[in-house]
Amino acid sequence: MSKYEVTIGIEVHVELKTKSKLFSDSAVSFGLNTNCGVNVIDLGYPGTLPTVNKEVVRQGVKAAHILHCNITKEMHFDRKNYFYPDNSKNYQITQNETPIGTNGYVEIEVDGEKKKIFLEEMHIEEDTCKSAHRGTVSLLDFNRSGVPLIEIVTKPCIKSSKEAMAYLEKLKELLFYADISDCKMEEGSMRCDANVSLSNSDELGVKCEIKNIGSIHNVGLSIEKEIERQKELLEKGEKIREETRRFDDKLGTTVLMRVKETGNDYRYFPEPDIPFVRLDDTFISDAIKEIPLLPDELRKKYQQVGLSHQQIEKIIANRPLSNYFNLLLDQKTNHVLAANLLLGDIAAYLNKHNKELQDTKLDQDRLIEVVAKLDEGVISNRNFKEILVDLLETSTSIDEILKSKNITNVTDEATILNIINKVLENNHDSVKDYKAGKDRALKYLMGQFMKETKGSVNPKLANDLLIQELDKLELKDE
Amino acid sequence: MSKYLDFDIEKLHELLVKKEITPVMLVEEALERIKEKEELNAFITINPNAIEEAKNLGEVEEDNLYFGIPIAIKDNIITKDLRTTCASKILENFIPIYDASIITKIKEAHMIIIGKTNMDEFAMGSTSRTSYFKAPHNPHDPSRIAGGSSGGSAACVAASLVPFALGSDTGGSIRQPASYTGIVGMKPTYGRVSRYGLVAFASSLDQIGPMTRTVKDNAQILNLISFHDPKDLTSSNKEKEDFTRLLGKDVTGMKIAIPNYFVSDIVNSEIKDAIYDLISFLKQKGVVVDFIDMKYLDKAVYLYQIIAMGEASSNLARFDGVRYGYRCENPTSVNDMYERTRGEGFGSEVKRRIMVGSYLLSGKNAKLYYNKALSIRDDMKKEFDKVLKDYDFILGPTTTTVAYHLDEGLDDPMKSFMDDVLVIPVNMAGLPGLNIPLGKNKENMPFGLHIIGNYFEEAKMYQLASFIERNFHHE
Repeated sequence: MSKYEVTIGIEVHVELKTKSKLFSDSAVSFGLNTNCGVNVIDLGYPGTLPTVNKEVVRQGVKAAHILHCNITKEMHFDRKNYFYPDNSKNYQITQNETPIGTNGYVEIEVDGEKKKIFLEEMHIEEDTCKSAHRGTVSLLDFNRSGVPLIEIVTKPCIKSSKEAMAYLEKLKELLFYADISDCKMEEGSMRCDANVSLSNSDELGVKCEIKNIGSIHNVGLSIEKEIERQKELLEKGEKIREETRRFDDKLGTTVLMRVKETGNDYRYFPEPDIPFVRLDDTFISDAIKEIPLLPDELRKKYQQVGLSHQQIEKIIANRPLSNYFNLLLDQKTNHVLAANLLLGDIAAYLNKHNKELQDTKLDQDRLIEVVAKLDEGVISNRNFKEILVDLLETSTSIDEILKSKNITNVTDEATILNIINKVLENNHDSVKDYKAGKDRALKYLMGQFMKETKGSVNPKLANDLLIQELDKLELKDE
Repeated sequence: MSKYLDFDIEKLHELLVKKEITPVMLVEEALERIKEKEELNAFITINPNAIEEAKNLGEVEEDNLYFGIPIAIKDNIITKDLRTTCASKILENFIPIYDASIITKIKEAHMIIIGKTNMDEFAMGSTSRTSYFKAPHNPHDPSRIAGGSSGGSAACVAASLVPFALGSDTGGSIRQPASYTGIVGMKPTYGRVSRYGLVAFASSLDQIGPMTRTVKDNAQILNLISFHDPKDLTSSNKEKEDFTRLLGKDVTGMKIAIPNYFVSDIVNSEIKDAIYDLISFLKQKGVVVDFIDMKYLDKAVYLYQIIAMGEASSNLARFDGVRYGYRCENPTSVNDMYERTRGEGFGSEVKRRIMVGSYLLSGKNAKLYYNKALSIRDDMKKEFDKVLKDYDFILGPTTTTVAYHLDEGLDDPMKSFMDDVLVIPVNMAGLPGLNIPLGKNKENMPFGLHIIGNYFEEAKMYQLASFIERNFHHE
């Protein structure tokens, strides 16, 4: 089985989050009507010229930095010439000779082992338009034409589908957190090609490229299947051809698209319409300053305030929540309790109503206040559930919400004791059972107490006092 | 017929302000003249709304020199709602939906665009004979070429159909036809005039410029069309200047270099004589003239072929029948559509250049030819820099001969490049080059003087040109 060495290289295209396109000022927006986000430049009209969107370069610098690449300070663009209807000028403006970033890496962890996935380069280029084929006609939507992309190319250093998936998860997390891309594979803002080759010698084998894989899960799957396919061929003594393949979801296997002909000839040459772009140090350092805390740094911080591994990963997986939680980090509060609320009742509510925390009235101050009340036993968990909707949807102060819900602040031990004694008096049988050692009785009495107080007493305090009173009763009887 | 269009722009403006004439009269006169000289074939499209536009201009603006003045535009400059063909079948019915940046400026100045002038197809040629709409003729002798590629603009101005026109110059396409037709044609410094809306032939060489009868008119039109355009990243952001500001100033003490190559055997002797005549005249007027040797001048044509055709092969890829322009009938597949649309839509010279250009950029050839050409081009630039450090101008003839007959040299594809042998180096270096009439030969055919100036020194070039225009008469 393991006599073949697997080598995988991955190319990822991500759409950058910018207001306008790479080489024109038309708006970038997902979900616009067909051909409504276009101008004469995107359509490749005669006479039009490209301009360079500085924001794209800034995002490129950020990406290069977080991917540990060397940043190319003097760069130019190149034309990649090929005819295809989705390519409005029949050349794509890209960076062939001077990619904005070179020689980077992404650190992954697979089965507890850390590994660096090395990057060959990353460059800026423009997206093509979308084409749809309907019988004998083809339809083109140029909204995507000229949308800024960065392409990130690894060295052939990935050894398994697991590593490939871990790399993509990590890359996605990094680019998403740095606000560089949405990285939504289902919407096409992150696209992935994998090159797979097998070899049983020191030389690399012949590679096949699997194009445009729709999800990270499928990247793993398609690599597995491709390894199987190539292994079978090699076992049979056949040669691998250099091919472009795609992953067929339904068949669960890779399918041949075309056999690669000797060296595609893209007739690259420097784009004469765009002079050299020179990045000065201030531009670079300003761009880097924009990068927010990245997941690995956040993990450390969350650990420091006491969150569990599970809590940490759940928060990291939800960036709006993480952004929200980050503002609590320097505040004096019970962070674990806050995380419990955020990941529990609050998350459930948000999910149900398809909202983000940021859409609610629960700002950090309000959350800290309510966490304090819970922490000090001023309100119970049940109280919290009762006031949750008001807490999220109104600006009414917490005290007033409690008042309106008739939740009195029962912290006075004398009041609690009064109620306990009343409960004990009315439930002689249960007291007897308790004394007889039946645990159920305590639960019952507690339930009665809660009913009496409508849950407005901190249950732990109540429980402690109840046991104390029951024990006292026992003494009296003797 | 009235003769107002024989006046220069200043006189026309004065008459407009005095209300002795109206913009409508000027448009009508231009249309009459075009009709009368229809056989010159200077225009591809006449603006059908020109009179209407002139009527709607309203009160004359006294401080706007350009108000109501007619102008002709080379047909590779994009004009909204006015057919722009590049003299090609592939754009025969192309009505643009936007304006080139300079056209916006011209419209804002309330000039009236009379029409679009004839040219070589996609500006590829030196005789305008590659035009899908047949060649324009030389007003001095209609059996001869008007030059190219801006042959229509040159014929139009030389015959005073419309006294002001715009051309474009990739490898001499303004200066050479200006020389052949005896007018003033400026190719400004690369970056001086916005290329946004100029249909690209070779992006790193293309430049728009004015073609006029007089030096002053020329400077005044350049005043209008030179500005920084954020839509063109190669547009310079030099401060606005008045190109007429040095006109009439003394030229004593100026230093001029004449490269020996420019007066070598490749140049017709009558033209050479005129150059020598000019040299002694200038020396008399206190101008220093030295003959020098310059490297690379004789290599410029080959560099030009590599760079221009390489870039053109990519620039013209967009004409594919998908979004605009000609599409072949009943395509059976995408490739069939590409092949037949481009096969039927482009003329043979354009196809030749696309093929050669594609070959030059293919695989290893890109490094072997294109990159090497770029690096020699840099050396050539340095050579010019060296000379222009010591001299104000480099002078020579614009063309090696006068305009030849329309049926001459049709079977020699190299000829069209050699017609531009003296003017191409300027495009390579990105320098400004200016043609002014120098004299006429025995057959009464005009030829021109080529003034090469330093980067962004157009004003100084106009100063010398105007001095020669006023004071030198070659017999």
